[in-house]
Amino acid sequence: MAPPPNGMHELLEQLETLEKTANLSASINDVQNAIDLLTAARAKIANDPQTAPITLAKLQGPLRSTLEAAQKDIKPVYSGLNKYGRALDKKFKDKPLPPTSNDALSSHPQLINRAIAMHLLREGEFDVASTFIREASQHPPQPEPTPNTPHPYNNLSWEKNMADGTFNSETLQKQFHEMYHILHELRQERNLGPAIEWARERSDVLEARGSNLEFELCRLQFVCLFVGHGVDADDDDLMEEVPLGPMQAWEYARREFGGFQRRYAREVQQLMGAMAYWQNVVGSPYRRYFYNDAAWEEVATSFTREFCSLLGLSADSPLYIAATAGAIALPHLLKLQSIMEKTRTEWTTQNELPVEIPLPPAYHFHSIFVCPVSKEQSTDANPPMMMPCGHVIAQESLDRLSKGIRFKCPYCPGESHPRDAVKVFL
Amino acid sequence: MAELTTTKLNAESHLLLDQPLLRMPYELSRRNQKNAQRYVENGTKDLLASLSTTTKSASKSSAPDATLASLDSMISKMQGLKRKLGGLHEEEMRIHKSNRARLQHLQDLYEVQSLVDVKYDEWSRVRLSRLLVDYLLREGYSESAAHLAASQGIEELVDVEAFVSCHKIERGLREERSTSHALNWCKENSKELKKQNNMLEFELRLQQYIELVRQGHEQGIRDVDMEDGLDGSNGISLTGGGSIGGGEQKLVEARAHAKKYLSTSGDFELMGRAAGLLAFKPWDNVEPYTSLYSQSRWNHLAHLFLTTHHTLYSLPPRPLLHIALSAGLSALKTPSCHSAFTASSGNASSSTTSVCPICSTELNELARNVPYAHHSKSLVENDPVVLPNGRIYGRERLKGFNDGLGTERGYVRDPVEGLGGRKWKEGEVRKVFIM
Repeated sequence: MAPPPNGMHELLEQLETLEKTANLSASINDVQNAIDLLTAARAKIANDPQTAPITLAKLQGPLRSTLEAAQKDIKPVYSGLNKYGRALDKKFKDKPLPPTSNDALSSHPQLINRAIAMHLLREGEFDVASTFIREASQHPPQPEPTPNTPHPYNNLSWEKNMADGTFNSETLQKQFHEMYHILHELRQERNLGPAIEWARERSDVLEARGSNLEFELCRLQFVCLFVGHGVDADDDDLMEEVPLGPMQAWEYARREFGGFQRRYAREVQQLMGAMAYWQNVVGSPYRRYFYNDAAWEEVATSFTREFCSLLGLSADSPLYIAATAGAIALPHLLKLQSIMEKTRTEWTTQNELPVEIPLPPAYHFHSIFVCPVSKEQSTDANPPMMMPCGHVIAQESLDRLSKGIRFKCPYCPGESHPRDAVKVFL
Repeated sequence: MAELTTTKLNAESHLLLDQPLLRMPYELSRRNQKNAQRYVENGTKDLLASLSTTTKSASKSSAPDATLASLDSMISKMQGLKRKLGGLHEEEMRIHKSNRARLQHLQDLYEVQSLVDVKYDEWSRVRLSRLLVDYLLREGYSESAAHLAASQGIEELVDVEAFVSCHKIERGLREERSTSHALNWCKENSKELKKQNNMLEFELRLQQYIELVRQGHEQGIRDVDMEDGLDGSNGISLTGGGSIGGGEQKLVEARAHAKKYLSTSGDFELMGRAAGLLAFKPWDNVEPYTSLYSQSRWNHLAHLFLTTHHTLYSLPPRPLLHIALSAGLSALKTPSCHSAFTASSGNASSSTTSVCPICSTELNELARNVPYAHHSKSLVENDPVVLPNGRIYGRERLKGFNDGLGTERGYVRDPVEGLGGRKWKEGEVRKVFIM
């Protein structure tokens, strides 16, 4: 087994030397000594002017050596920094700065700025966002030409975006303000009110998306009422014969659950069934609906997802996901780069990276179709085609195999005519 | 197994973006140490010289007041030196403290083993904030940068001050058309610049010369005659000044300037062109003089300064955010992201999938020109089925969606088409084979 990587320990040790001993404090003391020598000599001469020549002559040697000490005492700082510098070089010897030759972004500074503004807004950094939007509109960036975009597209300015509404920071800010308000009420205040109100206003849209959010929120409200927090349940109520909680929950269900009967009949039934166990829900089979600590976080997450999706945005900041994916990809791209330099080859595929980047599963958002015959990814020009037997190959492979007449599927005995193949969407 | 290979975090190879984080404080420390050394050396030389003069004069005449006054001045010089060193010491410790925070931040990554660990997520968010601050500083949005750094509590991990002073110099060149800040900077860093054979100072001096000549020509439209102009073009000489107009005065100054700062370069071809400026006026429109007179040279100087500055501090020429994003956009991009057809996965139209970050408004246009990721194997949901309209879904997800939608028993709807779309009998859903 290889020894464990020592991380930043060596550099931290070198830094400790610099902080503790190899710094300028010794030289400062030397200079103070020189001041003391001079002050003492001055006092002596002031006291007895006759001694001036001899005092001054005697001062020469000690003053010189004190000042030389001041110079000498800087040496450890110098050598300490040198040592640190060598350790730094060693640490990053195999981690060169990635080449910037493939920078396709310099020609789109406005798009980067817009992405940053949206990132700041969605992260709830409203003040920073407004500072940034002000600074960026006062000093719009200058696009630089890149190999792929020699004539940068300059008319996509913020002003235009603001005007045509594709980027309206105020609207977006209002929207994210609302999102953070609702999330705050959910997470910190345990108040479902604003979230339920939000979901109810968009009931149709959410239903069309197959979202359970509204029901989940209402179910949690029911649970809250039942177990007695969320409303101002006085301690006295808990002592009563018929607790207020289950009563209120019952009331709530009668009032609100009517609309859910069609889609959530089974879930509503379960909740109603639990009413029978109101005296001992903890010991009942319904316990998991009532004591689920993760429930709040779950509805908060699903609320964030729906909220962003309705704006056409992904739930996590794309800038964050892309920058992280980039950092994961860089070592692989670097390896590729050095191999290409050694073998003096260049990318043969303009549109596709020449190397596979292994990203964690959470970074896969779309299904990928790679044609099993040609090993190429499908594109709009070369879409996946399903033969009647249910196997899928790319259009170009289909054309090549069939030559326009009946042919046998390469993966099963099924025979078909190319016109029977249908385009599929992944 | 496959999961393990894609989620394992190797900190050692993961730190490609982080070298500048440590380079900057190191370079600043070195500069600090050099300044201290210079102060002490000069102070020593100065003091020992004063002391020997004072000793000499004290032995000759016995005027105690003069001796005491000299001693007082020596003491105050030493106090001045101590104050300066004290300032540098404070700066030194401040840099070390910030450097410690940076090393610790990087060390934190070594404690994380997996890319799906929530600790990696937190670390990566700090990194993004760092990259954003770096980007904002480079673009000159210093206020936003400082604001973001403060709000995220990462002041120790970013170099706001260094960039602010860098931009002051850059703006001096680009907007105020003044070389003074930039020349000061060259002086402060003269040793390193010499080591790199850097041309910045020469270019700045050349610009000063060009400006002097320009002023000379502009002021002297009337009083400079052709003879003097021709005389100038024969070479740089101080003897050419015959008439006494204000414009001519400037041209004399220009020649002196050239002799002092430019003649040592050894670039005779350039010297010839520079000399030619004396003969050709800014409005003559003759190359190569027009380019030398051009105002765009100021942008060139600003750019040259930035490059020099970034090289000196080992900063990459482009923002790190560009590097991270270029790689990330490609790693995430699929042919579906800019397809004319809605993908069945990663879209915004149903609540069963998460919106793909490349398809999201923020990055979609930006990713248009980058290559998409390479895949050697298909990646599809488990148990894929196809609807009569050609859309493919994992059986589980299709069921989840239809349950959520409350589709009538025995029927299915397409998540992309939603409630308003078509519905099919369950029997029409077919199994599909993706190899």
